[in-house]
Amino acid sequence: MIAGRLRFATSHATEFVDVTKMVRDEVHRSGLRTGRVHLQSLHTTVGLAINENEPLLLRDFQKLLERLAPGDAGYEHDDFARRYEISVDEPVNGHAHCRQLLLTGFATLLVEDGKLVLGRWQSVFAVELDGPRHRELALQLDGDFVPLSPAGRGFRGVRRELAPPGPAPQGGSPPSDSGAWAGTSSDLIELELARQLMVDPEPVAVPMRRLMEAGGKRLRPKLVQLASQIGPHHDALRAASLAAAVELLHNATLVHDDYIDESTHRRGRPTVAAAEGAERAIAVGDYYFAKATRLIAEIGNGEVTSTMADALEAICAAQIDDVALRGAFPGDHDSYLRVVRGKTAALFAASCASGALLSDAPPEVVEALRRFGDLLGVAFQMADDMVDFSPSSGKPVGLDIRQRVLSLPLIYAAEDRSVGPEVRRLLAGSLGDEEVDRVTELVTSSDALRRVGDEARGLVDAAVRELESIELDGLRPTLVGIARSAVDRTA
Amino acid sequence: MNVQVLERELDRLEGLWSEGLSDTYRSYLETVSDYEPEMQPKLALAAALIEVGIRLQGLGGHAAPATTLLMGDLCLARASRLLADNATQAVQVAFARAIEGVSAAAASGKPSRPVRELLVHAFSATA
Repeated sequence: MIAGRLRFATSHATEFVDVTKMVRDEVHRSGLRTGRVHLQSLHTTVGLAINENEPLLLRDFQKLLERLAPGDAGYEHDDFARRYEISVDEPVNGHAHCRQLLLTGFATLLVEDGKLVLGRWQSVFAVELDGPRHRELALQLDGDFVPLSPAGRGFRGVRRELAPPGPAPQGGSPPSDSGAWAGTSSDLIELELARQLMVDPEPVAVPMRRLMEAGGKRLRPKLVQLASQIGPHHDALRAASLAAAVELLHNATLVHDDYIDESTHRRGRPTVAAAEGAERAIAVGDYYFAKATRLIAEIGNGEVTSTMADALEAICAAQIDDVALRGAFPGDHDSYLRVVRGKTAALFAASCASGALLSDAPPEVVEALRRFGDLLGVAFQMADDMVDFSPSSGKPVGLDIRQRVLSLPLIYAAEDRSVGPEVRRLLAGSLGDEEVDRVTELVTSSDALRRVGDEARGLVDAAVRELESIELDGLRPTLVGIARSAVDRTA
Repeated sequence: MNVQVLERELDRLEGLWSEGLSDTYRSYLETVSDYEPEMQPKLALAAALIEVGIRLQGLGGHAAPATTLLMGDLCLARASRLLADNATQAVQVAFARAIEGVSAAAASGKPSRPVRELLVHAFSATA
């Protein structure tokens, strides 16, 4: 990674300073081939924007800012009599701070083939809101750099490299700093996902981008990447490619799931089916199912391809069982485990196994990791079921009940001697708001959530035990940490 | 035709066999005649499952109801596994690209070349 500052002077109170060329020059100077440029304003009255550099449009933007936060609106920030420790040259600029709030203070730009990835009409602006002044933007570049002489790298008149740029971790050696390693690895995944989504046709890419940008824990790709460091032949870029394919595959299944479950929202945003219709959702799911399988095939490791194909088949078969079991809602523990092992755990197990296979890890290590992933996947799903009853999850409580989704807390509550009869009676009828609230109340008042939590933690303990007999080259703490955090969560 | 191989691969999809999958399968057998005899039924079935799966899903037309979509998904997944286990990398990639093309066309409301034509062409892919 390379870090530095962009410095410039402004000449007006409000000014759109086009810094695109400055950023381009720094990308060129750095030798960055594929990666990202992060820009951050170092001022509370300078914002960042990406838009068209057309003079009349820039005046429109300026007028918009003036309408939204007029200079003469009267700002408490400008009432110096009520403020403490103000400097003698403190400006009257409440309007500028408020206008900055309407913009952003940071931006990330992609770089491919050594060039900034910008649309035809896009320019990068630093937006002066309280000028004229001398201003600074912090800038960091990360990714893959072409080798340059040390003299060729660095920024004009600013700090030079924070850390020497170089290739992603190689050779399977344990990271000296797992936090720093995690940052680099997750960056690689995000970069690869962004790269893949960028080349897809808009009608499929836009909804998938919206889904992926809304978040997600990226647990499966993390497992791929970690497992890919265990064998003797670690290749960070191939691992990132596989990890991204796994995440695309997972999201493709979610797009179809949401249509099947008639879900209106996922990760706080409308589902593809809700926003763009069932036909589009089916097409988007199919496209990314096919693309993911292609990316996996292109890696060229037959065992990895077969492992992922087996998992995909298990997911689809379990989905059929899941929907079929809704007729016998809430189902029983055995049916639950059968469905969850296919629907959720199969991809966790395949992620762990395929990462290890990619690095030519020994068969006993591959199988131990596969069992680890399987147990972790079931525990993860149990924790997910519990989140449905957590008011702090950010999701509507009781969604699983409303959608009659297989859920272990519900199964345990229905078996409970005290609340079970009422839970079963309510679940057998139509489920309006009142019934859902009552079932939620009954589940939380029973022993069901504690039982599920205990069972999930027991599975994680069993998963961790699978790692005890194999050589993990220093990665055990990270894998154990991921496993524990997968069940100790509220969202 | 290797009936035992097919029976194993039709688990959960038996009902589709009599509803057109068998005819579609036979239509692909000729296409795969250059492959090793034991691979021919698996590859022909993979192609047939993709064609039938896409039709079941209603891709490019009216969306299928949930349970039918799931059957379509299973067809595609089964085909993907058959290809992973039996086809060359080039053929796997060509099949995936064919589905990408059909689904991208469906998403944008544009007509696509017939699926069968695309899949027959995919069998000719070489590295």
